Amino acid sequence: MSGTLLRRLPYLAASTGAAVLFTLPFVWLISASLRPREYVFGTGFLPLPFAPANYAEAWSAVPLPTWLFNSVLVGVAAAAAVTISSAWVAFGFAYFRFPGRDLLFGLVLATMMLPFAVTMIPTYLIWSELRLTDTQVPLWAGNLFGSAFYIFLLRQFLLSLPREYFEAARVDGASYPQLFWKLAFPLIRPALLVAFVFEFKASWTDLLKPLIYLRNEELFTLPRGLKVVLDRFGYGGEQQWEVVLAGSVIATVPMLVLFFLAQRHFVEGIATSGRKG
Amino acid sequence: MSRLRCATAFVGVLTLALAGCGGVGGGTGSGGTGGTGALTTMGFGLPDEIATTRVDTFRRASPDVELKITEGAFDEQQFLSAVAAGNPPDLVYLDRKLIGTYARRGSLQPLTDCVQRRKVDLDQYRPAARQQVTLDGTVYGIPEFYSVRVVYLNEAVLRESGLTAADVNLADWAALPALNAKLTRVTGGKLTRIGVDPKIPEFLPMWAKANGVELLSVDGRTPHLDDPKVVEALTTGLGLIRGQGGWGRFSAFRDTFDFFGAASPLARNQIAVWPMEDWFLNVAAKNTPKAELVVKPFVDRQGQPLTMASGSAWVIPKGARNPDAACAFATTMTAVDTWVAAARARAEARRAAGLPFTGVYTGNVRADERIFAELWRPTGNPRFDEAVQTIRSVQAAAFSMPASPAGAEFDKAWYGAANRVLAGQSQPAEALARAQQEATAALDRASR
Amino acid sequence: MGTATVPAGRRPAGVVPARRRPVRPGRSPSARREARWAYLFLAPWLVGFLAFQAGPMIASAWLSLTEYDVINEPRFTGLDNYRQLTSDPQVARSLGNTVLYTLLHVPLVMVLSLGLALLLHRVGRFQGFFRTVFYLPVMTPAVAVGILFLLLLNTQDGLVNRGLALVGVDGPSWTTDPDWILPGIVLMSLWSLGSTVIIYLAALQNVPRDLYEAASIDGAGRWARFRTVTLPMISGALFFTLVVNTIASLQMFTEVYTMYFGNRETQNRFNSDAATFYVIHLFQEAFQFLHMGFASAMAWLLFVIILLITLVQMKLGNRFVYYEGDDR
Repeated sequence: MSGTLLRRLPYLAASTGAAVLFTLPFVWLISASLRPREYVFGTGFLPLPFAPANYAEAWSAVPLPTWLFNSVLVGVAAAAAVTISSAWVAFGFAYFRFPGRDLLFGLVLATMMLPFAVTMIPTYLIWSELRLTDTQVPLWAGNLFGSAFYIFLLRQFLLSLPREYFEAARVDGASYPQLFWKLAFPLIRPALLVAFVFEFKASWTDLLKPLIYLRNEELFTLPRGLKVVLDRFGYGGEQQWEVVLAGSVIATVPMLVLFFLAQRHFVEGIATSGRKG
Repeated sequence: MSRLRCATAFVGVLTLALAGCGGVGGGTGSGGTGGTGALTTMGFGLPDEIATTRVDTFRRASPDVELKITEGAFDEQQFLSAVAAGNPPDLVYLDRKLIGTYARRGSLQPLTDCVQRRKVDLDQYRPAARQQVTLDGTVYGIPEFYSVRVVYLNEAVLRESGLTAADVNLADWAALPALNAKLTRVTGGKLTRIGVDPKIPEFLPMWAKANGVELLSVDGRTPHLDDPKVVEALTTGLGLIRGQGGWGRFSAFRDTFDFFGAASPLARNQIAVWPMEDWFLNVAAKNTPKAELVVKPFVDRQGQPLTMASGSAWVIPKGARNPDAACAFATTMTAVDTWVAAARARAEARRAAGLPFTGVYTGNVRADERIFAELWRPTGNPRFDEAVQTIRSVQAAAFSMPASPAGAEFDKAWYGAANRVLAGQSQPAEALARAQQEATAALDRASR
Repeated sequence: MGTATVPAGRRPAGVVPARRRPVRPGRSPSARREARWAYLFLAPWLVGFLAFQAGPMIASAWLSLTEYDVINEPRFTGLDNYRQLTSDPQVARSLGNTVLYTLLHVPLVMVLSLGLALLLHRVGRFQGFFRTVFYLPVMTPAVAVGILFLLLLNTQDGLVNRGLALVGVDGPSWTTDPDWILPGIVLMSLWSLGSTVIIYLAALQNVPRDLYEAASIDGAGRWARFRTVTLPMISGALFFTLVVNTIASLQMFTEVYTMYFGNRETQNRFNSDAATFYVIHLFQEAFQFLHMGFASAMAWLLFVIILLITLVQMKLGNRFVYYEGDDR
């Protein structure tokens, strides 16, 4: 054990160095959020003078727990929907040979290329026709149909699985949905987790959709709520950046906790599927 | 095959939706005065007692209205998506300079009826504010706050350089570089004190006006960006910034300022002379009551007081479902009594906290008159009392950027020119010539 | 179903196996049944594509032939918008900035991420911790990232220039000097490379160990193993990130928008050619200047550019990417 540790030492040292570099901006942010207003833009790394009251002020000014709950709800719905549907579609592209496959896959990629700003208004009109604006449905329901990025990602992973597995299972009489659900799904678990985490993060940080679809403050997600905080305490108000930063940290930390929790499953997923040889 | 047909049908539906939602008719008033039903607002927030007191006043006056305030600053995409879908809010709170563009496109309701029905006297609004909410003679917005620019001087710094407030004369452009050099301080290769901050690009319109030319004609259609007098104004501002080590160093130093805290550049003697919005006086009174602050009017080259005014307004979009209540809300929020009640709440809050009350500056002249007659008391700090008087005295000498059908593009053109000059990419005349071209093209296109 | 055990030594190390004989999409009943199933798997995407992609795309194609201000009905103007595209210097400038950014950002992200992923692959049980650390910036809300980097990149007191001063370098004016704005943005973008690291890590975990063992037995050194085993085995992931990062960089918007255009004050203060990316210009045309038709034409131009670049990448990719289950 100590032998392996010794062998890993140089890697550990290099990783630690890089990690410190990547953490510095974040340390600065958290520390600034804990300083009184006139020290926010100071350059030190210590939260001195210490002003945890910033958090109390942010917490009491706006309904953060409600927004937190909404964000988790929308995030889970969006991530689950996109992961399962994209995997299903990716399996279709990876496993089957059928006329028009490459053309269709080209279309999948093409959908990633049109800037959002232009499809935004037509998409809004569709949800508006369905009378679903000012609900949280448009924030996640589009994900039920898969998303190009994840279809692409998961297809790459599926293509790296040996086809013999599947052919053997076919010979044993498994149906295609069984191939997908019982064979492919577990085997690409690390990639599925990546997709889930990516989409949860995307939903968690997205401001634009909540901004244009939601009017009722009870339905707001955290980034939309952060905009309220920013407009009230930042540029629109007296520029109490310490409150804005405290709000930003509150919006980031639950994500970190969740990520640390998911981390274990990440590792497990990789451990089971990674050791194929 | 069927896929194709499905797509075609779908696009058909979409086109219909686009066309159908394009021109939405305005709601018709039912004649009530206080209004009933749901009222939704966009772009407004409730940051302080000035906002909450006035909203409470409206709730008491119109208890039947179910008021829904969606907090957050005005956002174009949010507004336009709602307009495109024929589902706009009843009221929008936005910067007055945006009104021209939206009114020109027909997305705002004229307020002629509303003003008549609610017996609102338009003369009570300051001319510079009224001009920004009026396009081609029709009123589209009810002005809210009224913000002007004045010049702040830090006497402690002036004294250190052997000067007094009387020595600072912004009318004499030729003498500005020397004044700036006297006040600026560089320590160890770093800028540690700004002498004279021209506040360019933001205040370029005010410097140009001081030189006798407006960036945009009053009807909002003809730009004058390449006028030699504008070039001269920009060159003068650039000279002041070059005298302090150039834009990179100057703006980096200024970016570290915290104007809103106790450690403001005023308190730390990091700035000597700077034009700025009037609200800074409120902040200074709260955070640095001991500062040796002097406020003077910004002046034109003949020495006459001059200022640029700006602020927000309430507008009612076409397609609003409850224009009656919206009209009631906008006029109640900006009525004299409402403003006075809000100012009273602020004055009480300030006094309870042991802080001076430095007034509230609204777009309503009569409200201001009452606020300053009934609520404002000398604070015992002659510096701040004098400053308040100075601000009040220049409010009448204000101009504002006219309502324009392409306001955002016009701003982009001249801000871009000023930024290119500051960054050293371009000479003032050349940059402003390009800006003039861009602005002319944009205005032509918008007026077609 | 089952815990799959693959006979060891099935794959010779570093040698792409001979391609399987292509199975023609023939007319046999089994092939037809397979095709039916394939479409069943594709069905969710097809439905979503028609409703939420094709529809809006065609709508935007049509809008690109009109003058549309969102408020009034679109007015057909033929190819006017496309003619204007070719004559608008802002379009060319913003496209130039965006391409330059992509050329800097994509290779840097790929090389740095691969380096980090290879490091993390070898740190054993600490991997989870480090992976989280590198992914942390990605989870920071864009507004916070923008504000944060404006302060970090401040010429006089920013963390970056203070760090540079420690090694005796006089840092540039990151946020105001037109020559340094773009590098500053690239620097900010590198902070968020965590996603790419995670994808590479997942790919590295999937490389079967027996391949390395076999290569070692064959006497391959560290570099040879990396070149003949690691690179081919993760080439799918490399290719994926190349394509996706390129597409994303050409559409760079959120971070720069929050940093330099987030509200009117910053927008005007930093309004400069150097920070104007293509999608930012498009966005301003659409929502601030109300030229939705012109913006749609800009979008289609970008779409075609990205499409061409991706097609070239795919063509090259087919030559270098190794798929385990490749059957084409």
